[in-house]
Amino acid sequence: MNGEAILPYLIIIPLFGAFSMPIVSLIGRKAREAWAVIISGATLAVASALFYSVWEDRGIIVYTLGAKSPLGQGVSFPIRIVWEVDLFGAIMVLMVALVSFLAVVYSLGYMKHDTGLDKYYTLIIVLELGMLGIAITGDLFNFYVFLEIMSIASYALVAFRNDTWEGIEAGIKYMFVGSIASSFILLGIALLYGQYGTLTMSYLAVKLAQNPTVTAKVALALFIAGLLFKSGASPVHMWLADAHPAAPSSISAMLSGLVIKVGGVYALARLLFSIYSPLAYKALRAYGYPYINMNTVGWAIIIFACLTLIIGNAMAVIQTDMKRLLAYSSVGQIGYILLGLGIGLAAYGSHTGEVALAGAIYHTFNHALMKALLFLIAGVVIHELGTRDLNELSGLAKTMPKTTFAFLIGAAAIIGMPPLNGFASKWLIYESSAIFNPILGAIAIIGTAFCTAAYVRVLYTFFGRPSERVMKAKDPEASMLWPIIILAVAIVIMGLFPWQISEKVMLPAAKALEDQLAYISAVLGGA
Amino acid sequence: MRPRCGTDMGLIVKTSARAIIPLIGIFGAYIVAHGHLTPGGGFQGGATIAGAGILFLVAFGLNEMRKHYNKHLYSALEGLGGLVFLGAAMLGIGTAFFYNTLWHNGPIFNGKPGTLLSAGFLPIMNLAVGLKVFTGLVSALVAIAMYRRWKS
Repeated sequence: MNGEAILPYLIIIPLFGAFSMPIVSLIGRKAREAWAVIISGATLAVASALFYSVWEDRGIIVYTLGAKSPLGQGVSFPIRIVWEVDLFGAIMVLMVALVSFLAVVYSLGYMKHDTGLDKYYTLIIVLELGMLGIAITGDLFNFYVFLEIMSIASYALVAFRNDTWEGIEAGIKYMFVGSIASSFILLGIALLYGQYGTLTMSYLAVKLAQNPTVTAKVALALFIAGLLFKSGASPVHMWLADAHPAAPSSISAMLSGLVIKVGGVYALARLLFSIYSPLAYKALRAYGYPYINMNTVGWAIIIFACLTLIIGNAMAVIQTDMKRLLAYSSVGQIGYILLGLGIGLAAYGSHTGEVALAGAIYHTFNHALMKALLFLIAGVVIHELGTRDLNELSGLAKTMPKTTFAFLIGAAAIIGMPPLNGFASKWLIYESSAIFNPILGAIAIIGTAFCTAAYVRVLYTFFGRPSERVMKAKDPEASMLWPIIILAVAIVIMGLFPWQISEKVMLPAAKALEDQLAYISAVLGGA
Repeated sequence: MRPRCGTDMGLIVKTSARAIIPLIGIFGAYIVAHGHLTPGGGFQGGATIAGAGILFLVAFGLNEMRKHYNKHLYSALEGLGGLVFLGAAMLGIGTAFFYNTLWHNGPIFNGKPGTLLSAGFLPIMNLAVGLKVFTGLVSALVAIAMYRRWKS
């Protein structure tokens, strides 16, 4: 299939859906819900086709907005907005579309008793749109626009249940922190634009390799600071533990599963590998030209990653609120992904670095499925029992067997038990970190020990002696149960073919991310 | 004495507002329509027109505004603005998303640069954005006025 022809529909369909939602809402409630499902389903179809096309060709799709070619008339540099999708971006696109679709289906049952649902469905589609845009864009300012679309939609969705203080407090906190992070990123973009006079990522990479200035280093620091904020890395994870539990559970699933990855880790990886490049660093250093030391940057990220994975997982152990536990666990898992990314950067060019990067990409996808599953289950529990306090949920296995079984699968996967998908990705990260530096490997294992303790505690509660409150509960209706079943089945199936997926998809994606020259020449045409 | 919720602001303000509101509206429409020629455009013009709506709300009070404001209509119009914008961007999808086919191939809005009927889809987009910003801002201000929680 021609990937280039279908790429714009990835943006057009959700945009059309979001704009037409108020008009469709006039017809009635059923029409609105059907419309949301149709739009996110169509987006998922386009995303799957795009992923397949990129995966099959192993190429990079470049799409220019407003003209045939990104280059200006009579000049040899790009002046237009380009979208550029390599295999890494395509994996993110597929992940976003899949989890968003399931979250929308889940919302049909979960949000039934809420009001203001036309806004809810508009915002959820806008949130999906922002993330898809970040994953496909090849233009730095376009990236910022999509980042803001995503962030503002998520601020509003966190505060959607505005009849409780919790939602409003979390929403305001998230908005303040997110705005600070966004302004860091905007300042970084402004500095780069002022220095090099271009916003196209691939051309910027060329300019940066030719003349790596102090301004570029300052901009890099701002990008890393802003994006670590957005991804919830450890010293600045405090907003995440408030925002993710306060949102409706379908939104928590998207925030924890997608937003912190696409708006944080993916963007960071894209900036570090495709603009500031370890490849250029190695080459410039070898020939004695000025360079930006990406090795140091990699180590900086590794340090933040170690902090994140210890603190996040350890904080998860002591939580009594189920959703808060899951949110802290997300912080911990982001630590693993950042660890893979940092090692990929510091050990660039070696096989270890490539494996670490593949592990990070793999874990990003796996964690999106697992954490979406766990948050959807937490939503079911809240829906049935009206509480998420673990002390009151004892013995849930008796009355909600299907839900508990799905939770068991999700928890086992996130700990990294062998027949499930989390095992392979965590193994790649452990393996590469142990080879790169045994201390890092040990830290990663300690993080997993904490993670295991946290989830065993939840499972112990679920399988414990039934409390009175739990006896009335039952498994949820079909629209809430099916997304959970689909995610659980996906986790099991991905767990059955771990090394095939790693060989066929994740390693090529890591190679595509590392291959900066291909990323540049796809736009500049080898010029 | 502070004005009570939902009441107007008195004869002098109301009379001046009656005179000024159409002028603000015309000026905003001018900014929107000349968006591709002069500084400003859909957003700025739409915000100016919304200023007329807000002046109405402030001068005549919330009760009067309620009679003239229909949530569903404004919501639908806002969606329509977005859809027209998207539709204009889709016109040249044969070449590329956002390709300005009206400007390159016609049949309308392809006049001499600097005239009103030039610049392809830009005037259409400005009108769409103006509509969206006007309806959105007025809705936001009405919502703020309606849901205020303090006692007066």
